[in-house]
Amino acid sequence: MSPTPNSSNPLSRRNLLRLSGYSIGGLLLGSAGLTLVESLAGKAFEPLNQKVEELLLNPQRPVPEFPVSAIEPDALLVNTFDFTPMIDLETFRLVVDGEVNKPLNLDMATIQRMPLTSMVIRHVCVEGWAAIVQWGGIQMQQLVQLAQPKPGVRYAYFFSADGYYESWDLPSVLHPQTLLSYQKNGQPLPIDNGAPLRLAAPIKLGYKHSKWVTRVTLVSELRSRKGYWEDQGYEWFAGL
Amino acid sequence: MVMSGLQIYNANPVFGGRSGWHFWPFFLLGGWLAGGRHWHFAAMWLFALNLLWYGIYILVTQRWQHRYIGSNDLKALQTARNPKRRIYAWHRLVYTSIIPILLLAILTGLGMYKPAQFHWIVEVFGGWFPLRVVHFATVPLVFVFAIAHSLLALKAGGERLINSMFWDRML
Repeated sequence: MSPTPNSSNPLSRRNLLRLSGYSIGGLLLGSAGLTLVESLAGKAFEPLNQKVEELLLNPQRPVPEFPVSAIEPDALLVNTFDFTPMIDLETFRLVVDGEVNKPLNLDMATIQRMPLTSMVIRHVCVEGWAAIVQWGGIQMQQLVQLAQPKPGVRYAYFFSADGYYESWDLPSVLHPQTLLSYQKNGQPLPIDNGAPLRLAAPIKLGYKHSKWVTRVTLVSELRSRKGYWEDQGYEWFAGL
Repeated sequence: MVMSGLQIYNANPVFGGRSGWHFWPFFLLGGWLAGGRHWHFAAMWLFALNLLWYGIYILVTQRWQHRYIGSNDLKALQTARNPKRRIYAWHRLVYTSIIPILLLAILTGLGMYKPAQFHWIVEVFGGWFPLRVVHFATVPLVFVFAIAHSLLALKAGGERLINSMFWDRML
């Protein structure tokens, strides 16, 4: 039964239609307000999402790779937060330190004598684009093994020559396809892509892959600064 | 989901890359890429769980047997002379088609969110770019659904139906 319209009734149909119009406007304005409390959504759901990501990651299982013919040489864009550093290969040393029994100090010749691992994987940027790339370098798990981490180590920090910094969970660092790479698409790594050494792995978003890495520090606790982009609001785990 | 999705879209438009066309800030949620992602990956749980509850409800109450389009509706679309019957058939066709569209949004979204762990999803859609296109296409499809659904509801029941759905009981 439809009630008889009554314009003096504050809940009449006409008034309610009007109200619904206001509420649509309010909703749109409200969404602008929501933008201001954006970090709330991240704070509320990121722990859950991170748990799911950790469950999904099988640290031992390699991600399927692509044939060399699938490489997309032009698709890999160069993103840098600040500048491209100049690195002298003669004096360059990769330092591995932190909570380890045998801190390392390696020059490029030594690194290139270590077993080379090559992979063709999809590099996925947080912005939404992706590129299939071949990377060649040393496995992070070998480097960690050489340094002999103390019990309790759970994270690795990566420091770069341009001031960029990142931190990773240890299971992702020890994944067989997490490389410190000095080769891209069969060629020596170009300086724009992070030469002499950069991180490369199929299991993390692009911003986790530090370029121009000079120091790896193994730690048991995360510091208040977790990574350049993470400290601005990006998610820390960033697993794929 | 749509507004935060468009925020993410703007970081690198599916069509044209960085120089491609961007959506106006009015339609966006999150302020910037990280905020858009936070909203998107929070709302995805509500969206997916809602669809799951709906699926359970439809199965448990056995409503799936007569809620969706069937051969009788297709026949009615071809032969029925009763305009009401034809509208009901159209309505059911539209109502049925939104389910696979929403499922497609989840599947393609999962493929982009976790392409390493769900490698096969990217493969099924033929690569990264087609996957992005299909995920984005679910947005206009949902809008087309909303418009078609509303128009058909108006056609089927007119103002009285709309009133009975939203505010008659309140008076």
